[in-house]
Amino acid sequence: MNHRDHFIVIGNGPAGNQAALTLGEKAPEALITLISKNHGSCYRPHLLPDYIAGKIPEHSLYVCPVDTYKERGVRLRSGQTVVGLNPREKELILDHKEIVRFSGLVIALGGKPRIPEPMLVFRDLMFTLKTLEDAKVWIEKLSHVDSVMMIGGDLTSLAVTKALLSLDKKVTFMLNEDAFWPLRCDGALFDEVSRRLEDRGVEVLARQRIRSIARLAQHRYDIEVNGRKIQAGMIGAFFGLVPDIRFLAGCGLRIDRGILVDEYLNSGFEGIYATGDCAQVYHPELRDYWVSIGHNNAVNLGRLAAMNLVGGRIRAEVAKERLFDIQGIKINTSWWTEF
Amino acid sequence: MERQVIYSTEPEDFYYMDINVPCQAACPAATNIPAYIRCLFEENYGRSYDINQVANILPGVLGRICSRPCEDKCRHGEPELGRPVNICHIKRAAADFRQKAPLSKKGPFASLGKAVAVIGAGPAGLAAAHDLCTIGFSVTLYEALEKAGGMLRYGIPEFRLPRPILDAEIQTIQDMGALIKTGVRIGNDLAVGDLLRDYDAVLLAAGCYRSIPLSIPGEALPGVYMGLEFMMDVCQGRPPVLGDRVLVIGAGFTAFDCARSALRHGAADVTICLRRTEEDLVVTRDEVLEAKKEGVKIESLMLSRRIEGDKKIEGVSFVRTRPGEVRADGKREVTAIEGSDFVVPADTVIVAVGQRPEPIDIMGEKVGEGLPAADKNALRASVKGLYMAGDYVSGPSTVIEAIGMGRRAAERIAQDLTGRRFREKVVRLEDAEITDRQRTWDYLPRQEMPTVQPAEDRFGAPHSEVETGLSFEQAKEEAKRCYLCYLHYEIDISRCIYCRYCIDVAPRDCIKLVHEVKTNEMGAITGFVETTRWEDVNAIVIDNSRCIRCGECMRVCPVDCISVTKIELMERVVQEGKTHES
Repeated sequence: MNHRDHFIVIGNGPAGNQAALTLGEKAPEALITLISKNHGSCYRPHLLPDYIAGKIPEHSLYVCPVDTYKERGVRLRSGQTVVGLNPREKELILDHKEIVRFSGLVIALGGKPRIPEPMLVFRDLMFTLKTLEDAKVWIEKLSHVDSVMMIGGDLTSLAVTKALLSLDKKVTFMLNEDAFWPLRCDGALFDEVSRRLEDRGVEVLARQRIRSIARLAQHRYDIEVNGRKIQAGMIGAFFGLVPDIRFLAGCGLRIDRGILVDEYLNSGFEGIYATGDCAQVYHPELRDYWVSIGHNNAVNLGRLAAMNLVGGRIRAEVAKERLFDIQGIKINTSWWTEF
Repeated sequence: MERQVIYSTEPEDFYYMDINVPCQAACPAATNIPAYIRCLFEENYGRSYDINQVANILPGVLGRICSRPCEDKCRHGEPELGRPVNICHIKRAAADFRQKAPLSKKGPFASLGKAVAVIGAGPAGLAAAHDLCTIGFSVTLYEALEKAGGMLRYGIPEFRLPRPILDAEIQTIQDMGALIKTGVRIGNDLAVGDLLRDYDAVLLAAGCYRSIPLSIPGEALPGVYMGLEFMMDVCQGRPPVLGDRVLVIGAGFTAFDCARSALRHGAADVTICLRRTEEDLVVTRDEVLEAKKEGVKIESLMLSRRIEGDKKIEGVSFVRTRPGEVRADGKREVTAIEGSDFVVPADTVIVAVGQRPEPIDIMGEKVGEGLPAADKNALRASVKGLYMAGDYVSGPSTVIEAIGMGRRAAERIAQDLTGRRFREKVVRLEDAEITDRQRTWDYLPRQEMPTVQPAEDRFGAPHSEVETGLSFEQAKEEAKRCYLCYLHYEIDISRCIYCRYCIDVAPRDCIKLVHEVKTNEMGAITGFVETTRWEDVNAIVIDNSRCIRCGECMRVCPVDCISVTKIELMERVVQEGKTHES
């Protein structure tokens, strides 16, 4: 019996989706499985703020119809969660205890909203935005409130602020040094972001700490900031994303902020690649690690990981024209310049 | 019907315990974890505490600061089973909620008329003293510092380990007869030779009190502190003056204690700098989380090369590192990336990369920097009558490892001085019944330790304990999560009708149709050759290394051919030809 490769992609975000479709194209003889804990097809998360603002309908968020996977030879297993990986035995464990063997793997788990540890105590009172389900919650909540407190200051928060302003919501923005985490935000950038927000009519509370948050009613929160009480109908938490890779702890992969991979996105294990937001890529010319943010970069990296898995040798390059550089630390992003 | 109890010293039974009760096997003091968790579930807090105390001497202390190797091995933490049981904090609950009954001041043995000196009243010395006292030795501990406790008192901040807890458990050891002489530095105030002359044996358990420097340029600048000295100053109420921006270089518990203490003593911005990654840290996840809640930042993959500044610190130069393979000692290799230099600004630098023992003037064979050579298994030095234990032998380790080694040293001393054994490890097997554990308990979320919130409230009272303790209800809820791996499920194949109902209801692949059972030279089961061909099946077995003790198999068995045995690794007192459980 001929050996048939089984390539698995974990995660159906922009990077994972692109990796799976590329594998379908480049390795038509292989069995290709795309495992995603989300249901349905891949959508463009960077358009969620526009969706919240009512500028685009839901169907335009989707990258492709579900049938596309079948057409491209990709078996989609949605609504299933990977809870373990044995990279030496090349096995995945799913939460319903199924063990799935693979010959090649692309890990494209993306990120999950980060709540800084000092803010964890308020986690249940704040709303994040990562998934389409999150966006629907925002739309529903916004129909009842006229003011929003934005806390944090990541790149998504700027897009959401634009959306809120377009909906005539009053926005108060708590901006602190955690903005642009995991990078250290320098004074010049901090001031520039503050200025741009204020130019758009946003009240900026710079470098202040939340002492307490009290939920007074379904759509009314009291936020105590440096002795001052501020009321808002809704609180948004935007502290960046952290790779959703907790379950990989101790499996043998090298993990720092993300899965550490070389410039070819290889994890150090033959046939195992990481890509998109969950990859922390070493770049030999920078002599440093970099992370990718943004839809276009994720798509490119997803394609590249798939190409390398099927025998390619393509290096992940930092897109210099969109390089976001703070204190010598570089982020490759396609979002920042749009604000 | 009377239950049958068997005590075994067969190697295969010890092997079984190592494989099948992973938490206890991982504990350097071999604490009977399932037993004390079960006692707590039954609200027998005193018994739960006592089971701990027999093995690890200081349950109230360890319930707060143990490094928890047991939780890393807990079966509940296997990939598809969720998160490990919060074993450590159940231990603390037992200590918190027990009735403080007056302690019997006598062990089971009469006085032996022999005296042992212990140098160092830290965890190893205290554990050894405890055990020696219980078997009838006269024990005197010599402590160089003002109070007993060693690193527990002078290395761990009070917000993690309140001193009344430590004092009470040290007092227990004193109540058993141990005499503690503080402020006596062996080597200065008394010579080891004097002790060897005056006592039947001397145990050197002086810990590691010499900080290891980075040995990079700039380390002599004012504002550079060694981690241990920093913590000792903090613990003695004289914290050093700190700048706003503090970098802590190191990755162990001391580094985290330094960072959290620095925030309580004036630093505005504290960053821990790691050569490896956060993932490679050996400190507990709780410790990392609480440090971050307080505002400690953690930066990774950076190797310090120079502390910058002329008359004061301006920053630290680092290079990036690349992680490599994990070494045999469990640490990951890292290599510096040349040419990747960068500077992180700082006003204060705390170096917490390790400690080593201080040499003591002593005769006999020496190693390294003049430390006495020790047989690390026998814990004997080359000088007759001199024994060694704890960090002084192993280098910096954990409290539970030091306690485990202190106890082994005590047993060694006792055997050498009397020619007899006082305690022995045995495997106790007892017929048992299916427990009241319910399958739904396997899905209970882990009960996390409540802490003072918001974190900035901790800084107003810098010595107040951060972890406030599980409530009765939380502790009991967490105890429900333990699978009780000391229960052994077995199928009697002479009665089995191979209906395979048990396989159908098993929640994981723990019941197997096998062609062959593999055993090792001890006769212990090491694996199974499974088969899917019915004609090749020679037995149906429960693989207890996979079993989660849910009992479903037993409930559905139509011929009652599945039995339960409680199998415990425990200590038994050996006394004049008789034995009883300790």
